[in-house]
Amino acid sequence: MSAAGQGEVLLRVRGLGKSYVQRREFTREKFQVHAFEGIELAVQRGATFAIVGESGAGKSSLARCLALLERPDCGEIWIETKDVTKASRAELFELRRKVQLIFQDATAALNGRFTAAEIIAEPMRIQGLFGAAQRRERAMELMEQVGLPLAGAKKLPREWSGGQRQRLAIARALALEPSVLILDEALANLDLSNQEMILRLLADLQARRGLTYIYISHDLRLVALIADEIAVMHEGRIVEESGAAEFFAQPRNSYARDLIRAMPPLETILRERLQEEPA
Amino acid sequence: MKFLARRTLHAALLLVGVSFFSFALLQWAPGDFLDELRLNPQISKQTVEALRGEYGLNESLPVRYERWLFAAAKGDLGFSLAYKSPVGPLIAVRARNTLVLTGTAMLLAWTLAIPLGIWTAVNRRGWTNRIFGAATSTLLTIPDLLLFLGLLLLAVRTGWFPAGGMFSDATDGATFLSHAKDLLAHLFLPAAGLAIVSLPVLMRHVRSAAIEVLDAPFVRAARGHGIPRWRLLFRYVLPVAANPLISLFGFSIATMLSASLLAEVILSWPGLGPLLLEATLSRDIYVVVATVLLSATFLVVGNLVSDLLLYAADPRIRVE
Amino acid sequence: MRGNRKLGAALVFLAAFHAAILLAGFFAPYGFATQDRELPFAPPTRIHFVDATGQWHARPFVYVLASDPANPNAYVADTTTRYPLHLFVAGEPYKIAGMLPTRTHLFGVAEPGRIFLLGSDAFGRDQLSRFLYGGQLSLMAGLLAAVLTLAAGIAIGGVAGFYGGWIDDLLMRGGELFLALPWLYLLFAVRAAMPLHVSQAQVFLLLVAVVGLIGWARPARLVRGIVLSAKERNSVLAARGFGASDLYLMRRHVLPEAYGVILTQITLLVPQYILAEVTLTFLGLGVGEPMPSWGSLLASLQQYYVLATYWWMFLPALLLIPLFLAFYAAADAIQERLKTVAL
Repeated sequence: MSAAGQGEVLLRVRGLGKSYVQRREFTREKFQVHAFEGIELAVQRGATFAIVGESGAGKSSLARCLALLERPDCGEIWIETKDVTKASRAELFELRRKVQLIFQDATAALNGRFTAAEIIAEPMRIQGLFGAAQRRERAMELMEQVGLPLAGAKKLPREWSGGQRQRLAIARALALEPSVLILDEALANLDLSNQEMILRLLADLQARRGLTYIYISHDLRLVALIADEIAVMHEGRIVEESGAAEFFAQPRNSYARDLIRAMPPLETILRERLQEEPA
Repeated sequence: MKFLARRTLHAALLLVGVSFFSFALLQWAPGDFLDELRLNPQISKQTVEALRGEYGLNESLPVRYERWLFAAAKGDLGFSLAYKSPVGPLIAVRARNTLVLTGTAMLLAWTLAIPLGIWTAVNRRGWTNRIFGAATSTLLTIPDLLLFLGLLLLAVRTGWFPAGGMFSDATDGATFLSHAKDLLAHLFLPAAGLAIVSLPVLMRHVRSAAIEVLDAPFVRAARGHGIPRWRLLFRYVLPVAANPLISLFGFSIATMLSASLLAEVILSWPGLGPLLLEATLSRDIYVVVATVLLSATFLVVGNLVSDLLLYAADPRIRVE
Repeated sequence: MRGNRKLGAALVFLAAFHAAILLAGFFAPYGFATQDRELPFAPPTRIHFVDATGQWHARPFVYVLASDPANPNAYVADTTTRYPLHLFVAGEPYKIAGMLPTRTHLFGVAEPGRIFLLGSDAFGRDQLSRFLYGGQLSLMAGLLAAVLTLAAGIAIGGVAGFYGGWIDDLLMRGGELFLALPWLYLLFAVRAAMPLHVSQAQVFLLLVAVVGLIGWARPARLVRGIVLSAKERNSVLAARGFGASDLYLMRRHVLPEAYGVILTQITLLVPQYILAEVTLTFLGLGVGEPMPSWGSLLASLQQYYVLATYWWMFLPALLLIPLFLAFYAAADAIQERLKTVAL
């Protein structure tokens, strides 16, 4: 969807792993669940990097670690020149501005008691940036950029539609002017026309701001449309990684092959899209 | 079995915690029983200090608690400084009286609550239902204190019931039967008072438990099969409704104990209540601690019993 | 809506009651310590419109009572002199809200007439006046204690729910301890730990503290439940992603979810705590003479001869019943309201 990456690696992941401790229902025994392990990634600036795999905690967990919302058990995450896993609290506070996460369910990700303007202004408020008036101004600007009517600044999330809520979430994520946006199944809850609109918005934002996207999904169709690089996750490990074209043409891993085979052919996808496009 | 073992351990720990808590509370209290003696100019300071040493009042908290704990385990609950006698026998009698009262009141309350609750559940669409609802709501909001005072007023003005005590004074040559009658006459007012105070809550719970069951599909199916009403109630509705009620039983013991304290004081029933009040007013440490511990024990044991009942009644818990 | 009317009626009644109590000085014809040794245990003053000669008067009046020589417990009215009832009379000085000195009372009769609408107690003190002044103490104690409990409950429940782990375990086990004891016994134990001979103000504060700190366990548990579920929300996670501190998250995202529960808890706790203060004072463990509290008004009812002969001493108790009814009706209505709104 975007121009090929300029070659500079913005985000690098080395040997990342995380596991959880869970208890069995009745015997109360503890056992370990590996969410993911041995993850190696390199994401170039301005690219759209997709991570695909079946629905499961592994991908989301990885997304959260990349978005600095959870700590991995081992490994390193390098953002630009800084190793996030070794950052101090103060450094982490600053680093948060660089990476933001868009959740799958926009409704759950927004506080139902805040107005739209408050939601977008919140990141700036927490980071202690600007004054109240300026924050408001910037919030309105962001609303405009994501295509939300300014008259709705005082509306609560429940007064918006699903697609609009996701736009709100995107506006909020952009408030701190991040370099990387991680989209954790961000389009999965939307209907096809909304998906289309959000995709356009994302493409637009990427072009204007030079954003880097890491897109997590189980939907290969979407990935086919937008990704530059694709990594496949299976049972907590990356089993294949390559450029998009190469991936669809010659998948090396059997699991990846199965995934692709399960997909309807590219032509069918494109035809569907053309049919839905308003005449 | 694991379930029971866990609950018992839990109960034991709780009791230890309670005992420590009440003990610590009183030790932190500024001043002690001997303050009165200190104020008396005829008693020399040395005597008071010696007494302190004797009573062990100048040791540190953990030491005193440990001593007390071990003694208590052996049945020696300390010495009542006000009554000048060991605490154990003193509260044993009072405890017995309290148990008699609360036991009777619980019996009374539950034997009324279950049929009334079920009846209002079955007839929930009638106009009688509204009256009962209003009555229970009103009864619920009237504070216990006022209710007991009202009963006392009733007793005094009408002379129908003795207004206090457990037995009448004339006990010479009385037969067992007349003794029993006497006891019942004295028991009636406080027990009725306690029952009235608990009844609304119990009734409400029985009613809602019954309603939930009555609306359940399996009951409607049974009714569809033509099973007669009584059989339906006893063999289908009651066992299922019993589950939340058994838990309620444990919980109602706590409220009943609190209420009994007040009832005993106001209606002059010689139980733990008046004893605790006196002891509090005179800072009779060991009595206070022992009484609080005892009431907590009643409560914990009561809960344990209801856990046991639950275990016996509900097969689902046994599977776990 | 039915619920709204009920809530409205309850709130109006509560407001009126509280207003009367707040302005006790104005509504009460006498001070709470004013004694009339000549008139102990006087029955409620009868208000007449027709005098001994059969003549009707527009302005109601009262007679002075004197001891009945035949019956030491009773009084006989002296029908020779009428003492008319006036509104907005000048009576004993008092201070509005403890600040503005004034002497105006809503109603009264000229000396030596007495208007004891609820009768008098053993020292000849007007029961109505003591009821109003006593209300100030009891209501204040209840309110303060409720606030204390809620503060403790929110803090503890919030911390337990938010941080989980061993803190949660520890705090909840501690709470179980408090819940395991019958509250009145616990109250006694704690009260016994407090010194008995301290100043009135200190007793009051101690009372509030004791009552307030006993009941934190249930609100804490409720708040903890809400915090536990609220903190898992993605909106909270997102805020974390902006660098929000725990305190900020609690304050702006998590605790607001508990407002509904907190509100219902207040409406339930206040009457409960008023009752606790009344009970403690009634049993002699609370605020002592001459400060009136509803508890001390009821205390004399424990004596047999009082109950038997002076029935009007029970009237203050009856006046309390509608107050509690109103509190619980309000609590019920608020709960219903919250159920529909929250959905």
